[in-house]
Amino acid sequence: MRFYHLSAWMHSTVFYHTITHHLVTRTLIGGLLATATVASSTQSIALHARFTPDRLGVPTNLSATGQLASADGGIPSPVTKVAFYTPAGARIDLRGAGTCTAVKLERVGPSACPANSRAGFGGGVGLFQLAGETIREQFTVDLFLAPREAGHLALLAYVRATNPASIELVLTAREIKAPKPYGLGFSVEVPLIPTIPGASDASVESAFITLGSPNVAYYETVHGKRALQRLRGLISPKTCPPGGFPFQSAFDFADGTTTTANALIPCPRS
Amino acid sequence: MRLSTVTLALLTLTALPSAALADPTTATIVPSLSPDRLGAHAALTLTIHYSGGELGVPAPVRRSVLRFPAGMSISVPTLHSCSTRRLRTDGAGGCPAQARLGGGHALLEGRAGSQIITETIALSAFLGSPHNLQPAFEVLGQGYTPYDQRTVLTGAVTQSDPPYGEGITMTTPAIHTVPLEPDASIVTLSLTVGRRHARTAPAIVVPRSCPAGGFPFAAEFTYADGSHSATSTTVRCPS
Repeated sequence: MRFYHLSAWMHSTVFYHTITHHLVTRTLIGGLLATATVASSTQSIALHARFTPDRLGVPTNLSATGQLASADGGIPSPVTKVAFYTPAGARIDLRGAGTCTAVKLERVGPSACPANSRAGFGGGVGLFQLAGETIREQFTVDLFLAPREAGHLALLAYVRATNPASIELVLTAREIKAPKPYGLGFSVEVPLIPTIPGASDASVESAFITLGSPNVAYYETVHGKRALQRLRGLISPKTCPPGGFPFQSAFDFADGTTTTANALIPCPRS
Repeated sequence: MRLSTVTLALLTLTALPSAALADPTTATIVPSLSPDRLGAHAALTLTIHYSGGELGVPAPVRRSVLRFPAGMSISVPTLHSCSTRRLRTDGAGGCPAQARLGGGHALLEGRAGSQIITETIALSAFLGSPHNLQPAFEVLGQGYTPYDQRTVLTGAVTQSDPPYGEGITMTTPAIHTVPLEPDASIVTLSLTVGRRHARTAPAIVVPRSCPAGGFPFAAEFTYADGSHSATSTTVRCPS
């Protein structure tokens, strides 16, 4: 049986890369990250975040990177849920923005989504274990605005990895109420992600996400004339509290632990 | 167990970052003169095509050395110039029309998420402020969608060894797309400098004689990943 597994897997994955999991509508792997390292009993996360451009009250990108590690030196437990809270005063201006649906992403992929529904990008490195060896695999994330759900914002994340395991997932990040001193909150549930037969489910070693659409523009015909429409997207807060912008992010893991990170993004210099 | 080891090795190989397996970035140049006549005041169109690179996206070019045939020059009847700073802040409209040397277009590609995003940008070439008493050139690139942004390439005149004459060394800044994602790359660029038969506007002055084998053009490129490529070609002598 073991031989069969390895043989089939070598044939299908190494040479033909045909293992494709069914698309699943779930929630986003990543999460907004901040500048801190916080450890739970078994997982630690090094987080960094910034605004680009780094100015008050303007359309901006919120970028975050995270490095996950296991305290025992093994691969981190798979992420099952991420919640993140942006600084108070940050808002999303949806004028001119379109939406995409999970069905379109599942059936066709990102090319099916209108350009003005694009909300950001990301990626990272995933991990899985096979016969005691750790295999690393790059993944990408494409973020799109989804139709509101009960009046709340929603984002779709198209997560894709191709080699050695072929994985496609459509995840949904849903707006949640954020406690003070935070502004927007999103929650993302992540399913266990099978990789290849005989190997462990996917874990995350590192991830990066950029949310926002400054400088994004598209042409639209208005009253018979082609006009350039500019998106605003994520707007940075108009004021910065002493000490910087607060962030909070909480990761749930399949081993039942939770890691919460609180951090600050420095206030703009001018 | 041996099969397992082999499989793991293969699996590890396939999981290597694709940069290690990327084709090197190369470039070709296609120059053309109009009118194609000895001694004429002409327009020179230079088309550059980049290929190769990681996942089929060429590495961003950072420095280009373009070499032109000996005896070829540019005639600029009225010396108006435009600064890089003004181009960056005000765009082409912020510069005197007399400083404009030509224009063209380019296609950019950049990877973001799982996508390769393309953008067509308009190019406008201007005479820049002299640098060390040497003429300088600025090329404004203005794109609108999906990203409304501009970039300015700067160039300085240099001397080349025969069979070339004057050359231009161009510096291309990093063209940022989305934070944490790779910079955009120029895939094709086509720039026309000078006007046909122009006497009161900038024009390329075609040499009065043509060397055997045609007018030689050459270019060397340095890319953001530290690699280099070079190419050369000739334009057939006017008949």
